Amino acid sequence: MASFPKVKSVALRTISTPLILSAVLVVLALVTVAYGSRPFNQTMIDIFVRVILVTGLYIFVGNSGVLSFGHIGFTCMGAYAAAWLTMPPMMKELSFPGLPDWLKALQLPYGPGAVLAGIFAGVFALIFGRILMRLSGIAASIATFAMLAMINTIYANWESVTSATNSVVGIPIVRTIWPYLIGAIAAVFIAWAHAISRHGLALRAARDEPTAALASGIDIPRVRLVAFTLSGAVVGLGGALMAHSIGVVTPDTFYLGLTFITLSMLVVGGIGTLTGAVMGVVLLSLLIQGLRWLERGVPVGESTFALPGGLQEILLGVVMIVILARRPSGLFAREFVWPARLGARRRNSSAATRNVPAGDA
Amino acid sequence: MRQLEADNISVAFAGLKALSEARLSVTPGHVTGLIGPNGAGKTTLVNVLTGFQAPTEGAVKLDGESLVGLAPHQVRRRGVARTFQGGRLFRELPVIDNLEVTGVGLGLSRAAAVAEAQAMLDWVGIAPLADRIAGTLPYTDERRVAIGRALMGRPGYILLDEPAAGMSAPEAAELAALIRRIATELNCGVLLIEHNVGLVLETCDHIVVLDSGAVIEDGPPEQIRASETVRHAYMGTAADSTLPVLEVMQ
Repeated sequence: MASFPKVKSVALRTISTPLILSAVLVVLALVTVAYGSRPFNQTMIDIFVRVILVTGLYIFVGNSGVLSFGHIGFTCMGAYAAAWLTMPPMMKELSFPGLPDWLKALQLPYGPGAVLAGIFAGVFALIFGRILMRLSGIAASIATFAMLAMINTIYANWESVTSATNSVVGIPIVRTIWPYLIGAIAAVFIAWAHAISRHGLALRAARDEPTAALASGIDIPRVRLVAFTLSGAVVGLGGALMAHSIGVVTPDTFYLGLTFITLSMLVVGGIGTLTGAVMGVVLLSLLIQGLRWLERGVPVGESTFALPGGLQEILLGVVMIVILARRPSGLFAREFVWPARLGARRRNSSAATRNVPAGDA
Repeated sequence: MRQLEADNISVAFAGLKALSEARLSVTPGHVTGLIGPNGAGKTTLVNVLTGFQAPTEGAVKLDGESLVGLAPHQVRRRGVARTFQGGRLFRELPVIDNLEVTGVGLGLSRAAAVAEAQAMLDWVGIAPLADRIAGTLPYTDERRVAIGRALMGRPGYILLDEPAAGMSAPEAAELAALIRRIATELNCGVLLIEHNVGLVLETCDHIVVLDSGAVIEDGPPEQIRASETVRHAYMGTAADSTLPVLEVMQ
């Protein structure tokens, strides 16, 4: 009698989400290349870097429900690791005299450098996570914040290895958009693969009903640690690419400002979905860009219409509050899926409703 | 001898004794009932048996081996499963995923967990509910899903915390039949905590009665039915039954 509609594997059922999101990113990249203006190119690179950061943040925050204020610390580690790995040895001698000689002599291309930087950040996420993942709720969030402050303080003071608060210059700048696109798509697929893995499923169950998750045999600190490590590695990769997109890093590039903008993008987009993470970045970034453009002034007939300076931040705050007031779970509380899939789902659930035994109502 | 055993368990919360030297044992293939007035310590005992509450004194033994000090997920992995009052389903997930989560928690791959979840839904008799979102289910279905979820991985023992609460008589009878099947067909040891004393008397092979944290009677249904002590615990006036608790609190 059992007729189970669920025949396709989890991967096949859910693959449309990362594919659609990747398509959105590819279209944005193609539009950018077609336009060809340099500032627009840089804007789009910034957006792709933030997609990597926010998607990385989503892997942990979205699935575990634990808000992390500390991830930008791993971004900082990734960025500095990229600097250590890719700068010319002579520049390293100036900025980082305390590095071991083998590392000073090494000069990797930015691609392998970024991957290694991500792994480096992931290893530290694993170490920090071993301690932090035993905590829950507000205690865990505050502890991640303390971790961010620790990392920032170390990077802002370890003169011989990080150049302290001085700007580190000489990081190879990469102006073409493709590596950032590839990084963003990779982040989306890593997040998807984690979400559909047994660890992702167990973590979301633990987020929604921790007591029942324990009674289901789930080791909650462990599944959290898996997500924390992976998400630390992804935001570390984002940090490396961010360093290559701007060419200059200081510890304060990776502190409160970046922490709050990435968290805001995740929350406004939809904290519980991959779609929310990616689209939150894209929409809020475009909004910020639009407001900046208005601030600079738009010619209207013979006069120029311009917003007063600083209004951009205020308007952005207003928009975010309005969005969250109207849709507390963010703009995209549901994942993007193929339309056909939606139809199938509706049929299944109505069939199931008809089969409910009588007398339950 | 294979059994899940509570050996002289005492639990004190800030001086208030929730359990004092409670003992009971659950054996494979049998249904043991645990009854007692409100506040008798029934749920506390289940929490101790499943690792959610550490005993102040005494030991929990699974086939002779102590479980004290293990985390709840470790107890579950050793084959001691439980349900909760009120279901505690993963409300956002479809029914089948609710079962799949336990399969995954026990170390199965997702594909293997889905296969077992489907077989289990079928065995419990709720296969048509597979794709329903758990949070939209009526009360009685919620209970059956919770039982199916706890049975994933064929645990040696299952502790059911008030599974019949709020059910009508025919629904409770259907549930009783399911509970008997769990014991006989799966050779699982069942501990049934219930307010519905009639259901317990009909379903259980053996019944333990708790009052104010202590076991006051222990035996087959006929013995419990005839017991003066049990009758007194249940029928005693409200003032009588609360007196001992008040003394301890002061």
